[in-house]
Amino acid sequence: MAQNKGRPFRVRSRVEKRDLVTRVLAGDPDAERELYDSHVDRVYRLVYRMVGDSELASDYTQDTFIRTFDRLATFRGDSALSTWITAIAISVVYNGQRKVKRLRTREVDIEHAEPMAATIRHADPDLKARLTEAIDGLPEGYRTVFLMHDVEGFTHDQIGSALGIQEGTSKAQLSRARAKLRHELAAFAGDWAS
Amino acid sequence: MMDEREDRFDEILRDAARDYNAPPPTPKAEMWTRIQAVRRTGGQANGVLPLRPTIRRPLRLAMAIAAILVLGVAIGRLSAPGITARPSASGTIAAAPGADKKDKSTVATQLATTDHLSQVETFLTEFGTEKGSPEFTEHAKRLLGTTRLLLDSKRVTDPRTRKLLEDLELVLVQIATMNPKDRAEDLNSIADGLAQNQLRTRLRNAIPAGPAIRL
Repeated sequence: MAQNKGRPFRVRSRVEKRDLVTRVLAGDPDAERELYDSHVDRVYRLVYRMVGDSELASDYTQDTFIRTFDRLATFRGDSALSTWITAIAISVVYNGQRKVKRLRTREVDIEHAEPMAATIRHADPDLKARLTEAIDGLPEGYRTVFLMHDVEGFTHDQIGSALGIQEGTSKAQLSRARAKLRHELAAFAGDWAS
Repeated sequence: MMDEREDRFDEILRDAARDYNAPPPTPKAEMWTRIQAVRRTGGQANGVLPLRPTIRRPLRLAMAIAAILVLGVAIGRLSAPGITARPSASGTIAAAPGADKKDKSTVATQLATTDHLSQVETFLTEFGTEKGSPEFTEHAKRLLGTTRLLLDSKRVTDPRTRKLLEDLELVLVQIATMNPKDRAEDLNSIADGLAQNQLRTRLRNAIPAGPAIRL
C-alpha cells in the first residue's frame, strides 16, 4: 500500500529531475543551483563519513559537482540522478584518498603501526573509540558499503548502482564488514551480550 | 543464540557508527562559490598539470641517447683488462682481488642505477607530453620491475637514492595500474605526486651531467 502511494510521487519526481537535467544542459543557472541544492547534503555527508576531514570533504564534494556538471550530457537516466552523482563522488573520494594515503604512509613511523587487534585488547575499553579504529581498518570496499548502508541509509540497490556491483555483492560485503568488526571488537563481547 | 548475539551486536554497531565521522553542517554556499569560480574559468576540477612542457621531446631524446653512449663508454672502461688492477709504484697490485671484485659490483650497480634513473626521467617527460597513451603502461611496468630490483639490491646504499627509488616506485605503480576508464583522474593524481615530491628535480640531481659515473 505504501509502495502504491509512493510510486506516483517517484514517477513525477523522475520526470522533474529529467526536466531539471535538461534545463541545466540548456545553461539555466537557476537549474544548476537547484540540482546542486538537491544533492549536496547527501553527497557531503557521505564524503565526510568516508574521509572524516572537513577540508577534504569540501574539496571532494566540489570536485564531484564540477564533474557532475561537466559530464551531465552523458547521463542517460539508467539510474537515478542521485545514484549517478553518488558514483561520481565515490570515484572522486577513492582517487583522492589513494593520493592522501600514499603521502601519509611515508610519514607514519612503522613502530606505531601495531596490529589493530592487539591494540583493541589492551587499550582503553571505549567501544566507540575502538569502533572508529576498526571501521578505519576495514578494507576499502567493505568500509564504503558499511558506511553507505548502516550509517547513511543507502539501500543495497543504490549501493550496487553507485559502486557498479551487484546487489548481492553489496549484501555480502556488508555481512563481511560486520563480521570483521565483530572480530575486531571481540574484547567487548561482554558489553553487547549483556 | 549466536544469531541473537550477532543481531544485537549489529544493532549496537549501527547506533555507535552514527557517531563515526559525524558530518558537520554542509558548507553549501562556500562550496558553490568555488564550484562556480572553477566552472567560469572553464577549468576542470583537477586539470592535468603539464609536466615540464618547456623541454622539447627531441632534446629529451638527445639527452637519453647521450646518457646511453656515456654508459656504454663507462661499461667498456670498466670491463677492459687492467683498468682497476693497475700496478702501484712498487709494482704490487693496488687492491686485493676480492676487494676489486666487490668494487666492480658496486660500480656496476651505480651505473645501472644511473642508467635506470635516466630512463625513468626520459619516460616521465615523454609521459607528460603524451598524457598517458596505452604503451606507457607497459613501459612503466618494465621500469617498475627494474626499480624494485634496485630497491632489493643491498648495493644501493645511498639513502637519497633509495628514497628517490621508493618515490619513483609509487609513481610507476600509478602509471602501470592506470584505470583506462578514468584516465584523467589518474593522470591528475600522478602529476600531483610528481610535483609534491619534486621528483623531476631530484631525478635531474641524481643523474650526473657528465659521465654517468666517475671511474
